Amino acid sequence: MEILVCVKRVPDSAENEIEMNAEGNDIERDDLVFSVNEWDNYAVEEAIQIVDNVGGTVTVVTVGDDESDEVLRREMAMGAAKGILLTDDAFEGSDCKGVATILKGCVDKGNYDLIFTGAQADEGAGAVGGMLAAMMDYPYASLVNKIEAGDGKLTIGREIEGGNQEMNEIDLPCVLSIQTGINEPRYVGIRGIRQVSGVEIPELGAADLGLDAAAVGEAGAKVKKVDYFVPESGDGAEMLEGSNDQIIEKLIEILKANGGLQ
Amino acid sequence: MADRFMSMRNLKFTLHEVIGASPEGSGHTRKSMDMVLDAAFDFAKKALHPLYEEMDRHPPELIDGTVSVHKEMRSILTTLGKDGWISAIFPEEWGGDNMPPSLLHAVCFIFASANYSASVYSGLTMGAANLILTFGSDELKRTFVPTMLEGKWQGTMALTEPEAGTSLGDLTTAAAPQEDGTYRITGEKIFISAGDHDAVDNVVHLLLARIEGAPAGVKGISLFVVPKLRPNDGALRPNDVTVTQIFHKMGYRGAPITALSFGEKGDCTGYLVGEANRGLSYMFHMMNDARLEVGMGATAIATAAYHAALDYTRNRRQGRRLTDGSGAPPIPIIEHQDVKRMLLFQRAVSEGALSLILQCSRYEALSHTAPDEEKADYHLLLELLTPVAKTFPAEMGILSTSASIQCFGGYGYCEDFPVEQHFRDMRIHAIHEGTTGIQGMDLLGRKVVMKNGKALLLLSREIDKTIKRVQDYPALQAMAQALSEAKETLSTTTMTLGGVAKEKGPEAFLANATLYLELFGHVTIAWQWLLQMGVVSEKLAGQNVRKADLAFYNGKLDVGRYYFGYELPKIGALSIALAQPALTLEIEAACFTD
Repeated sequence: MEILVCVKRVPDSAENEIEMNAEGNDIERDDLVFSVNEWDNYAVEEAIQIVDNVGGTVTVVTVGDDESDEVLRREMAMGAAKGILLTDDAFEGSDCKGVATILKGCVDKGNYDLIFTGAQADEGAGAVGGMLAAMMDYPYASLVNKIEAGDGKLTIGREIEGGNQEMNEIDLPCVLSIQTGINEPRYVGIRGIRQVSGVEIPELGAADLGLDAAAVGEAGAKVKKVDYFVPESGDGAEMLEGSNDQIIEKLIEILKANGGLQ
Repeated sequence: MADRFMSMRNLKFTLHEVIGASPEGSGHTRKSMDMVLDAAFDFAKKALHPLYEEMDRHPPELIDGTVSVHKEMRSILTTLGKDGWISAIFPEEWGGDNMPPSLLHAVCFIFASANYSASVYSGLTMGAANLILTFGSDELKRTFVPTMLEGKWQGTMALTEPEAGTSLGDLTTAAAPQEDGTYRITGEKIFISAGDHDAVDNVVHLLLARIEGAPAGVKGISLFVVPKLRPNDGALRPNDVTVTQIFHKMGYRGAPITALSFGEKGDCTGYLVGEANRGLSYMFHMMNDARLEVGMGATAIATAAYHAALDYTRNRRQGRRLTDGSGAPPIPIIEHQDVKRMLLFQRAVSEGALSLILQCSRYEALSHTAPDEEKADYHLLLELLTPVAKTFPAEMGILSTSASIQCFGGYGYCEDFPVEQHFRDMRIHAIHEGTTGIQGMDLLGRKVVMKNGKALLLLSREIDKTIKRVQDYPALQAMAQALSEAKETLSTTTMTLGGVAKEKGPEAFLANATLYLELFGHVTIAWQWLLQMGVVSEKLAGQNVRKADLAFYNGKLDVGRYYFGYELPKIGALSIALAQPALTLEIEAACFTD
């Protein structure tokens, strides 16, 4: 099975204090600590496990700048065999459709049976996987939390509203967006890092992918962010203070007083 | 940002920008070093830190002769083995990475700040494997090391006995030669860290014992591998090693400390490591590393406590500024001057100590990789600074974690917050791997006087280099001058004590060695702060300083100013005390009547 996993370098919310930029239309990104999108780790782990069971290769790809190779190396240190960096000044400012277009260029150059994305990334749209599938005319399933590989098809589980679960069969090739919890991603160790630290990662730009630069990046974006802000806190919040036991006691009192507990 | 236990930004700043840890010859680049640090942090955050409190509240138990530890320890050790963390410092032929010492210490810092108890198991195995690989026979290496490095067998250092702790020359564990070249071991050891537990399949003790007929004292001590289960025809058989007790400790409770009995049934086999009667010198070969590791453990705990205190003081609102009216809203307590002072103190201790230990690890690397004519000098610097790098964080860390508790007020004294545990976990560091008293005597009685005081001269030159490096920055000149004077104070005090040694002998010379070590610590940490401030000033003088870096760098300058303003002046009192004849020589033990 040839599996392509699309990954993204995102701000690490545990390591940053998020601030707005001077224009007020985005967060200040220059000063952030970045890491790989958490959902993508699960996707890479799932791909590695499938390949361990049925054979094949895991390739990781990202759209980003020259610093984005660090997330590719990280995922390769986990066990992905190859990495591809899609980078070009023309890609900057791409909306989800633009990113999907760039990824399609990469998919077209390979021979992948299965394509994974994380269920969502830092911007929360969760749209790239679906758009990529549509552009490729591949079947697509979102929020996948279980995969069993079969002959020419997969049996997949999806997380449904209300904690319910559904099972589907899906033909290959297909695109799946992977939900956290599908597995327990392995840790990156010294041995993995040693294997990938000197590996050359191929970089492909718009021309390499046969893309019209005007169709991607800011020029091609049909969705433009016009504002970005932290909502003001509403009234009525009460911070409970004290020891854990005192806080729990007060919380129970409040819940009882307001009908939350009988 | 809650639950933060260390700052990766500060670690990378210290490692790359201050120490300039050279990965030369190690196959590492700055990028690969950062990958290692990030991977260590990920493991620490997800696997070690969540168990921090739980391992303290559910300490190891001795059940049916076996020590039961937290059930996650097996999976932690297996991962550390499988992913190459335990073998990291060793050559590739042993599955290692030739990891440079500075990077190893940085990784240990990350693990220990997340969960000190959980971090020590693999460190002990690494140290024991290092002894076997350095001094053991090929057969010993093949038999024990691979499985230890896989995290399946635990390594220990079995030195201390009921009547031989600091004074190892008094040890009585005996080794009787057998016809097959092995030894029959009998004796008791106490305070053996990770001496037995159920997260591994075997325990390999690196044990000091006296071969029958060997000279008395330290010259008759040999080193043995003594496994709990001895390999025999492909199977593991009991080796007559019994756990007689586990100690119930004040802190650092997640790792078992055991008392062990060897050869109660006369069936305990030991395998000699290297040559007979050289055991103590083999152990001392590893001592610098072990002591730096203790210093790093203390630094890591102080760091974690500081971050807990920082988070709390930013969010806890209480009281008003003295100039505010009574109707003003309460302010975050970090705004109160005394709280700010305590936070500055904690940062000054932990970040200063981190810098000193990484500086030592740089000297360690250079003692192997520098041009031949310089190697010995770097080794001398490492020798000189090791007792300081062990003791400063261990002793000041007690005060620093105490200040962390103070930041929380009454809550800090309760189990609801982590700082009381940090305080308890900290206390051992001034005791294990040589108490502070021993470190003081090692510094003054051995390290300062070795090679006619050459090490101190070399340190003086290193400090002068830093003073020179900052000469273009006017804002640092007063501190550079203060460091220069502090160095002079250290030199004068050393000369004075040298005179005491000549006139009154070693007892008088070393009577106040602990105070001398304290003074020495303040001078070297001030040096590390001036170095950090110099690096920061160079960065700020450059172009395009990022906004986040600006805040970080300015913070560094502030903490450095605090160190010079509030901590370094303490050497004045110490130097006065050290210039006087030691009172303890006059005061008889008989005076302690009530």
